[in-house]
Amino acid sequence: MSKELADGVGVARAGHFETVAQQRAAATLGIWAWLITELLLFSALFLVALIVRIQHPEATVAAAKHLKFWIGATNTVVLICSSLTMSMAIEFSRIGWQRAMVRAMLATAALGGLFLVLKGYEYYADWDEHMMPFLGSRPFALAETPPARLFVNLYYVATILHAVHLFTGIALLLGMTWMAAKAGFLSRHQNWIEVYGLYWHFIDLVWILAFPILYVVNR
Amino acid sequence: MTPNHAALELWPAAVSGTATETDLLILAFTVLTLLLTVPVFVAITYFALRYREGSEADRSPSGIRSNLIEISWMLIPFLLTLIFFVWGARVFIASKNAPPDAMVIEAIGRQWMWKFQHPTGQAEINDLHVPIGQPIRLRIISQDVIHALYLPALRLQVAALPDRYTDLWFKADKIGTYHLYCSEYCGTDHSVMGGEISFMNPGDYQDWLTHSGAQQGKVAAGRTLYEAYGCAGCHDPGSSVKAPSLAGLYGSPVKLADGRTVTADDAWLREKILNPNGDRLAEGYKQVMPSFAGRIPEGELGTIIDFLKSYTAPASGKAAQATP
Amino acid sequence: MSASGSVGGTARREPHAPEATLGRKADYLHADSTLRSWFLTTDHKRIAILYLASITGFFVIGAVAAGVVRLALIVPNGAIMTNDTYNKAFTIHGVVMVWFFLIPSIPATFGNFLIPLMIGAKDLAFPKLNLTSWYVFMAGAFFTLVSLVLGGVDTGWTFYAPLSTAFSNTWVLPALIGVTIVGFSSILTGLNFVVTIHTMRAPGMTWFKLPIFVWAHYATSLIFLLATPVITTALILLIMERGFHIGVFDPAYGGDPVLFQHLFWFYSHPAVYIMVLPGMGVISEIVPAFAQKKLFGYRFVAYASIGLASVTFFVWGHHMFVNGQSDLASLVFSALSFAVAVPSAVKVYNWTATIHKGSLRLDTPMLYAMGYIGLFVLGGLTGLYLATLAINQHIHATYFVVAHFHYIMVGGTVLAFLGGLHFWWPKFTGRMYSEPWGRVSAMLIFIGFNVTFFPQFILGYLGMPRRYATYPVEFQLLNVLSSAGATILAAGYIFPMLYLVYSLWFGRKAPANPWNAKGLEWETGSPPPKHNFLSPPAVPRIPYDYPIQAQEAQDQHG
Repeated sequence: MSKELADGVGVARAGHFETVAQQRAAATLGIWAWLITELLLFSALFLVALIVRIQHPEATVAAAKHLKFWIGATNTVVLICSSLTMSMAIEFSRIGWQRAMVRAMLATAALGGLFLVLKGYEYYADWDEHMMPFLGSRPFALAETPPARLFVNLYYVATILHAVHLFTGIALLLGMTWMAAKAGFLSRHQNWIEVYGLYWHFIDLVWILAFPILYVVNR
Repeated sequence: MTPNHAALELWPAAVSGTATETDLLILAFTVLTLLLTVPVFVAITYFALRYREGSEADRSPSGIRSNLIEISWMLIPFLLTLIFFVWGARVFIASKNAPPDAMVIEAIGRQWMWKFQHPTGQAEINDLHVPIGQPIRLRIISQDVIHALYLPALRLQVAALPDRYTDLWFKADKIGTYHLYCSEYCGTDHSVMGGEISFMNPGDYQDWLTHSGAQQGKVAAGRTLYEAYGCAGCHDPGSSVKAPSLAGLYGSPVKLADGRTVTADDAWLREKILNPNGDRLAEGYKQVMPSFAGRIPEGELGTIIDFLKSYTAPASGKAAQATP
Repeated sequence: MSASGSVGGTARREPHAPEATLGRKADYLHADSTLRSWFLTTDHKRIAILYLASITGFFVIGAVAAGVVRLALIVPNGAIMTNDTYNKAFTIHGVVMVWFFLIPSIPATFGNFLIPLMIGAKDLAFPKLNLTSWYVFMAGAFFTLVSLVLGGVDTGWTFYAPLSTAFSNTWVLPALIGVTIVGFSSILTGLNFVVTIHTMRAPGMTWFKLPIFVWAHYATSLIFLLATPVITTALILLIMERGFHIGVFDPAYGGDPVLFQHLFWFYSHPAVYIMVLPGMGVISEIVPAFAQKKLFGYRFVAYASIGLASVTFFVWGHHMFVNGQSDLASLVFSALSFAVAVPSAVKVYNWTATIHKGSLRLDTPMLYAMGYIGLFVLGGLTGLYLATLAINQHIHATYFVVAHFHYIMVGGTVLAFLGGLHFWWPKFTGRMYSEPWGRVSAMLIFIGFNVTFFPQFILGYLGMPRRYATYPVEFQLLNVLSSAGATILAAGYIFPMLYLVYSLWFGRKAPANPWNAKGLEWETGSPPPKHNFLSPPAVPRIPYDYPIQAQEAQDQHG
């Protein structure tokens, strides 16, 4: 990936920075620092899920059997592809191909949306199979194995938290795409695409952690 | 039995070898603490005076290499304090591993009382009688939130968890009566969830088991349950809920709303506690008493009724008294 | 860089920026006085003042709650208020003081104001994010105060499960939501500081020329970033448990209430270092200034800050020695807790060595600094008592613990806060406060504090548990003494609120550098102009280049 920016592509310096290089460095370090905090947030949650697995292996396996492995696997591929389109958007931003960049960003948002649609369908299937223990109205399918209920609830907490991040990410992406389509954007705010791209990759990474921890190792 | 500490002591009693060793550890550590801090305080005070702005003191640099000073004052105090880490760890580990022949007493904590079960069957509420001279192991569990059993005279405490047992063992060598507390905050009456632990000579302990273990303190136990289940909160004078007083109730006639008059005997009291909606009272009492069905174990229900038998006058003052 | 060290005498100084020749209206405080210009400001100095005002308000709320607690404890039998009221009082005291006063106090106020000045920058890296952090802070406060207004919460600031999730009948959820939200304010502040210190130092301002105040805030910010997300997860799980009974802390569903304690203390132990490190940074600025002498052992003090921020992550289990955890875990946590005391000791010894052969002035900031050193040492060493396993079995959850952490939080952090407030008051406001009133208040606070909290050490080893609304009658004397001390302390707190505010209108106008202190913040006007420096500041050859230099190893500074 080229690190050099094409002519006409760059960053407009904000008043409190001395140089553009300083501003870029600050933005990059800032997003990495934010992502570390997000990683810790999810890691703590995954750690709790792993502890439940270690303490209650049979109940966890029983619960995981009801998870929709193939929807999860498809969603993993969908997000990896969306990271690919996001990387393309970053590269296009560096070489100044604004229209291609906008299309890549829209493709990324679309793939993210596809993930949410598939996830929604998956939740519907869970509801249908009585796998929503927090709903008093629908008796839980594995009620005779109480730790299974805990594992399933943790699955919801983790995937809902991820979905909230993904939804926020798509909303930010669409807003940024709208701004990025305007003339002169790439000469003033090219690094926004790079900074945002790191966030998108992170959302993908969280899912790449969640999928094995929740779906795969417990089968 | 009143505890032997009505007046404020400067140092609490230590009734076991472990407790005495813990005290020694504290005193020795205090000596080290003073050795490490007094020079600092003295130095600061001295410097503040001697080197006041405008004083004639010599301020030329002293030429000591600072890296050496830094390493010294990092390592030396640290190594000295580690002595206490090791000492404290050894006493701690020893106190966690009970000898296999220890007498086991069950301790159950719940909001807001302790129940102790002796191996010979006697049960106590909030108070505990134990013999000296032999290892005693308390096997502790909670029925609801996390509590903790704290026995300052032994210098020991351990949490009471809702899902598994925890242990505390000791071998006392002095007789006396001391405080027993809950030391993990557990809600409204956390501070009254305690009583007394009495260390007794083995002969006295056997006497107690035989004669008074069952009866002694039964009225007190009943009173505690009467308060712990919230009966006192409504039925004692001074409550904002105008529940009928239970003092002197046992054996008296009670007028019901349907015109009957019944006698408040064991059976009727039991039924009213479990099903307050039945046999409604006459004379304008609004029925707001909750049912205690499923909430009071049978044995405790009996203890409360026994207490009501002897309950002739309401206690004055607040229901939540400090334990003496 | 010049290779020769300085040997006593006056350090060669760069010509400094001229005094602010602006008219009064052009400094950050007085230019533009509309509400909009304050509540939509992105100037780090104004944001610092917003924080200062709000944390003062929360301090008052927390202090009133403490007053309620000490009032109740005058009598042993709970006659003054119900147990429930008492329990709510100590809970809100803890929640408000920890999250809405102590954690933001120095970083969000002094850190925000001074870090850009100290490194020679125009602002923090992300000014709008800085303002956002204040609004997030206020949103968190809003939810917490909703809980208070609706009737209070009585779980203790530690929110242990299952009491908080399944048994408490009070307004736990709004409080949990409030604390979760305010965590994000910490994270944003920490993020801003880390990025600023890495990327926005003025040319020539290398890491080892930075004031220790900056090092301390850098270390604190690392903790903000790495610890806070874990409490966020813990609180989310607690909210899910209380709201939806997901079972994570319920043994009936395979959950474990002790797991909450691990998640909680993994954050909350480092959190106490968030509350301590910035104060150490303040003291490291005050002591050299009032001794007119270079800080002794600069590199060791800098490394000690990072050392504290690292080791602090590995000692959380010392809050759980008696909760049934394995002996091995207890051994490891105890040993590491002894180790974490070392960097703190390093700082104390270095401050003492700085005073040695200095030229001391005992103005109010220095009085607070010296009080800090004494009280912090006592608080820290009593921490070692608690770290000793066998001793912990006796004094855990007693008033000994309460005294220990108040010696550090009040005797330490609050004293550092007040010392810093007086030290930098001229810089923030352009006014001098009344020095006699400052000294009187400092001494009143010192005396009141010790009368309040020293008896609590004794109550603790005598066996009085904490969070007790009623207690055995033989403890009454010490409790009454402690409550009496609390009234002295309260009076001590009120005086600064009055004379500092008075000085805003009637105080003597302050020069740029009233204390002859070193540091770039003193090279600009009091108050500073909006963009901090009229011309780029000259970075000193060494930090703390005070007139009196200690003879140290030549390679201390490059």
